[in-house]
Amino acid sequence: MNMKLIELDNITFRYEKEEPAVLKDFSLAVAEGSCVIIEGDNGSGKTTLFRILTGLSFPEKGEYSFDGTNITREYMKDNANSKKFHKKIGYLFQSPDVMLFNPRVYDEIAFGPRQMGLSDQDVEARVADCLEMFNLRDLADKAPYHLSGGQKKRVALAAVLALNPDVMILDEPYAGLDKKTQEWLTQILIELKASGKTIIVATHSGELLSEAADEIIVMK
Amino acid sequence: MSMLPEWMRETDNYVPPKDGGTFAIKTIQTIGKIMSRLKTQAGHEKQKHLPALVKLFAMILLIVLTSVCQNRIILMVIAAAVLGYLCTWPAKGLWGILKTPMAASALTLLLFIPAMLMHPAGITNNLIVVAKVFLCVTMVTVFNHTTQWNHITLALRKIHVPGIFVFTLDITLKYIVLLGNLMQDLLTSMQLRAVGKHNRKYSSVGGVMGVTFIRGTEMNEQMYEAMRCRGFTDDYKGL
Repeated sequence: MNMKLIELDNITFRYEKEEPAVLKDFSLAVAEGSCVIIEGDNGSGKTTLFRILTGLSFPEKGEYSFDGTNITREYMKDNANSKKFHKKIGYLFQSPDVMLFNPRVYDEIAFGPRQMGLSDQDVEARVADCLEMFNLRDLADKAPYHLSGGQKKRVALAAVLALNPDVMILDEPYAGLDKKTQEWLTQILIELKASGKTIIVATHSGELLSEAADEIIVMK
Repeated sequence: MSMLPEWMRETDNYVPPKDGGTFAIKTIQTIGKIMSRLKTQAGHEKQKHLPALVKLFAMILLIVLTSVCQNRIILMVIAAAVLGYLCTWPAKGLWGILKTPMAASALTLLLFIPAMLMHPAGITNNLIVVAKVFLCVTMVTVFNHTTQWNHITLALRKIHVPGIFVFTLDITLKYIVLLGNLMQDLLTSMQLRAVGKHNRKYSSVGGVMGVTFIRGTEMNEQMYEAMRCRGFTDDYKGL
């Protein structure tokens, strides 16, 4: 049995003090290299859970531990800790629009690798691999905001994967994709899992990934 | 055959270098937060029994009266009325109301300091101006806090402010919130991927601003088309 990479212990979270808790006494344990599907109605707290897992929000009660380290506001205030943590966790937002801010698709994918201090050749190789893998070669010089919804999603996912994170957190990755692309994405996720990556997916189309899922959590 | 390239199957042995200078990102995040705060305007209305039009007239009247008033007794009566009204507010909400007028009157006072030093005889008059600024800004802030934006624009339309002005104001106020949220999300996603030394911070920040602008334009066009499809004929009556 693989060790638990992510552990949430009885966390409670609310956006405003007066508002009801979005997550109450919620616990979760994800083993390294596993695939977890999160299902639930709209507003059940899936995106909030992901914000906590990616260190963007912090629970008012309970503990979040990643790879044995307690992820707290204080820990994430340290720039080095925050960068190290975010290198390990890749997050695909529900809307790809909020992930694309570079002038070209190429630059969008190269954004992460360039910062990792890789040589120009390595950056170029990584970007070329991602463009190939996501069938984006013809769009490399296009502006991301002019692409269709499905193309934007592919660019956003390629940009996250270019960082080669250990954990992939995907918020509704199938939304807005046609059936063929959905199947292709499932194949990619299965391969990522097989290569040892940990995958956490929030989706209303859980059946697409059910064969790779180690656990399905339904949030209410 | 696998679709994954070799490097993606391996784990990077990566230690992030030191990288300071988050000034630009923090600044824009603050702007985004301020814009997002505007969304609290919805559902903030506390005095529902008074129509926005009445409040608008009362505010304009009181501001004009306060500004032109040279009689200190009348000024004190207005001040007593305003401060008396503020006493009915819960202590928790008072700071939200008072911080803007206090900042405005402090700025006015600062501007008057040289005049006060050079001409001490005029100190009283200068302080009256400071008090007037405080009262006028308080009235605007109270109006702002007790009236929803859509009711304000509706009231402006009723007093025959041109439709195009009201429409632009209304849509701007609504979209500032959306664009503020978009900008925050873009910066968040940028930070999540900024895992190393970012040598082109300002270029990326410029990209965020550019995308926000483009998205704003797109949303504006789409909304206008959606409004036309639902019978909008450029005669804006407020929402």
